Amino acid sequence: MLLDLSEEHKEHLAFLPRVDSAVVAEFGRIAVEFLRRGANPKIYEGAARKLSVSTDTVQHGVEGLTYLLTESSKLLISELDFQDSVFVLGFSEELNKLLLQLYLDNRKEIRTILSELAPDLPSYHSLEWRLDVQLASRSLRQQIKPSVTIKLRLNQNGAHTTQVLQTDPATLVRLVQQLEQALEEMKTNHCRRVVRNVK
Amino acid sequence: MELSEFVQKGVQRLADPGSFDSNAFTLLLRAAFQSLLDAQADEAVLDHPDLKHIDPVVLKHCHAAAATYILEAAKQSADKSTLSTYLEDCKFDRERIELFCTEYQNNKNSLEILLGSIGTSLPHITDVSWRLEYQIKTNQLQKMYRPAYSVTLNVENTDSQSHPEISFRCNMEQLQDLVGKLKDAAKSLERATQL
Repeated sequence: MLLDLSEEHKEHLAFLPRVDSAVVAEFGRIAVEFLRRGANPKIYEGAARKLSVSTDTVQHGVEGLTYLLTESSKLLISELDFQDSVFVLGFSEELNKLLLQLYLDNRKEIRTILSELAPDLPSYHSLEWRLDVQLASRSLRQQIKPSVTIKLRLNQNGAHTTQVLQTDPATLVRLVQQLEQALEEMKTNHCRRVVRNVK
Repeated sequence: MELSEFVQKGVQRLADPGSFDSNAFTLLLRAAFQSLLDAQADEAVLDHPDLKHIDPVVLKHCHAAAATYILEAAKQSADKSTLSTYLEDCKFDRERIELFCTEYQNNKNSLEILLGSIGTSLPHITDVSWRLEYQIKTNQLQKMYRPAYSVTLNVENTDSQSHPEISFRCNMEQLQDLVGKLKDAAKSLERATQL
């Protein structure tokens, strides 16, 4: 599968051959930082000054590189496909090799970042538990009522939420049973067949 | 046991065969337990023909007093001798004391469950449901090929009677972590109950 690069995109990337490979490598690093943490205009300004070009040029160059890397990572294209896609840009072989290396080095992390882009449901972070025994309350003395208190930490869109919940021993056993069944499901023939055949 | 004068007077009245004959006493006693334990019970519980001859004000007073005393006794997990002692002091005859203690013993468990359920507590997990998906692609990411779980905990709030749900997703490692921790809790619980 080859990448489809628009004219505008090619224009932005056209900046890259004009600088030496150390700068391209640096841009690659900025591009991944951009994905991790968002744009940092100060970096663009600093680079623009050092290279004697406009901030826009730098920004477009980085964004073009970012898009190249994310599209390649998203589709998980092969080395060969990446090389062929970049070939149309008419860059030097050295630059092509550099870009390929950037792709290979960063694609795993980029895919991780991309997978976190659309969390619809909160996701599990951690769980703490505590055993309690209620001995008395205002309405009844001399009780022995065991319970489990659970602190469930979830992530949603980067924010942490905490839920404090309680359950009784019988429900706890049921929870464990049900969720163990869920884990076992992946090992069934049905799921194995799906995993094998859906590629 | 701290009982108000209203309650004490009401209970003492119940001892008097002049105010309550044997039949009326039994009926009133049963009505008191019924009012406490039967969710559907209302004032009609006192609407028995054999109680009609008694002044309604007296009837209500003694009914309320008996119910209050029963609750106090259940709250303190009073035993037969505590009950007997108090009822003797109220001038109950042997027969009525026996009847009271028998009714109390029969209903003790239900009373304890009732009293134990009153009070606020944290949201209580009642059930769990899960869904296993095999993710293939999203618009951001293709060729994913990984299993993902969605877990929903059904939760009950004692005071607000609401039933919110807590849903979250997790991958296999996270679910293993979750299950591992819950299993630890269950094992600790088992060990604690064997001590």
